[in-house]
Amino acid sequence: MREKLTNPDHVRTWPGTIPVEHVYTVGVAGEAFLRAIKERGRLVAVGCPGCGTDYLPPRLYCERCFEKTGEVREVEARGTVDTFTVAHRDLEGHPLEKPQVYAFVRIDGTGGGLVHRLGEVDPDDVHIGMEVQAVFLPPAQRTGSILDIVNFKPAE
Amino acid sequence: MAKVAVVGAGMTKFVRRAQETGPELSWQAAKMALDSAGLTLKDVDAVVIGSAPDAFDGVHMKGEYLAEGAGAWRKPCIRGFVGGGTGVFSPIQGWYHVASGQFDTVLVVCEEKMSSCHPHPQGAFITIFDHITERPLGPNLLWIFALEMNRYMTVHGITKEEIALVAVKNKKNALDHPCSQLGAELTVQDILDSEVLAWPVNRLDVSPASDGAAAIVMCAEHVAKRVSDKPVWVEGVGWHLDTAYWTNRDLYYPRYVEYAARMAYEMAGIKEPRKEIHIVEPYDPFDYKELHHLEGLLLCDRGQAARLTADGVTQRDGDLPVCPSGGLLGVGNPIAAAGLMKVCELFWQLRGEAGKRQVPGTPRRGLAQAWGDLMQVGTVVILGR
Repeated sequence: MREKLTNPDHVRTWPGTIPVEHVYTVGVAGEAFLRAIKERGRLVAVGCPGCGTDYLPPRLYCERCFEKTGEVREVEARGTVDTFTVAHRDLEGHPLEKPQVYAFVRIDGTGGGLVHRLGEVDPDDVHIGMEVQAVFLPPAQRTGSILDIVNFKPAE
Repeated sequence: MAKVAVVGAGMTKFVRRAQETGPELSWQAAKMALDSAGLTLKDVDAVVIGSAPDAFDGVHMKGEYLAEGAGAWRKPCIRGFVGGGTGVFSPIQGWYHVASGQFDTVLVVCEEKMSSCHPHPQGAFITIFDHITERPLGPNLLWIFALEMNRYMTVHGITKEEIALVAVKNKKNALDHPCSQLGAELTVQDILDSEVLAWPVNRLDVSPASDGAAAIVMCAEHVAKRVSDKPVWVEGVGWHLDTAYWTNRDLYYPRYVEYAARMAYEMAGIKEPRKEIHIVEPYDPFDYKELHHLEGLLLCDRGQAARLTADGVTQRDGDLPVCPSGGLLGVGNPIAAAGLMKVCELFWQLRGEAGKRQVPGTPRRGLAQAWGDLMQVGTVVILGR
């Protein structure tokens, strides 16, 4: 055992990786969710006909009572900041040029919400309870991804 | 220990690429199992999830990921994992949850979504081998198993033609399974003519990569008697791990399967398994593995499984039906779900609910077995009615 081995060349090593990549299907419920974003610039939610639990993002089934959920419904892409953080460093620990606000936004009229970026706002002005709305990419630039939402911004 | 029953079973279709996510597949199988038992999620006290490497679905902490679809919301939940042996190990975990007296009703759900893994799940398998001696050679499962198959064939003087009969039988049986991916009417010559992947393994000697899920409901005796007029009982369970050091064991015989089987036979009070087991679902990711495992399960003498197959004993209407479901070779191989599919098959067969796959007579007791890790884990469940 060598403690504090900072240079791996001091012991016999070899480089390796697990050589796989992944292609994830978005699933039945995910398909409805991302199509609404891409094709209509809208969010969709779904309710459980059994127990009334409401899901955004939508689910194919209710995790609480196992009923199949019903038809998705479109909702306004607006909500309230439930909680937020301000990131100052990137994944490698380097300082960000500009601090980035990440918030959990509860979507109005639904039982769920989304974690997303907040934009068009000074981090010092963000507060819990703040009303926000989604900013979508122009239709031609959308790919059917959660990043078709650029960010949320203070509601008009 | 308390008696444990199986009262419901369900599974999805096994397919090459499902649109459904892993949790969605899990929900389909779990819901079907509960519905078949006339139960709802409220009746479930705990959940067991079985799923093989995280690298297949491409999701770390896959148990947590699958939990919502497996019915684990606000319930005690555990994810078990012993590689390819997982699908038969999960019902063992379900069994001890109930046998211990801690829980009355347990939902066991196994899922695998191998289509997520690109370019092929073999990429994930590479890193299960020894980093120093094997991995630098770029091993893949096909040539590792080809080494085992060759050793098995050579020690016993068994031919590829004799082994191909297993693939012919299982793919044909799978034609009668509504969930099967690769049911087909083939000849021995078709198997031999398929491309050589790693001699002696040809493409049709091997099960496919698949997406799918399976589930069963297990419960205590007092619950079983209330909810079911045809409960199937867990009579024996066994599991065993051998060494990963290839150099220290002989590949021609799966000793770890024998030890797992002996544990299960002892618990079930079985003295003569060849007379007391009526249907078998041994793990068959490769055709030779069905033979290899029948020998490890002590259901025939070493080197004699090929003869049983050639004599028709292992056909659905033979004296010892083997893989009446169609097995992994025919139904498909979403790893953990494939193992549990075998337990589902016993449940349906013993209740007389296997439809076109029903074996004649009235089988009273069946055995399911899976195998995995670095070819050194054996898991066995014996069910009876």
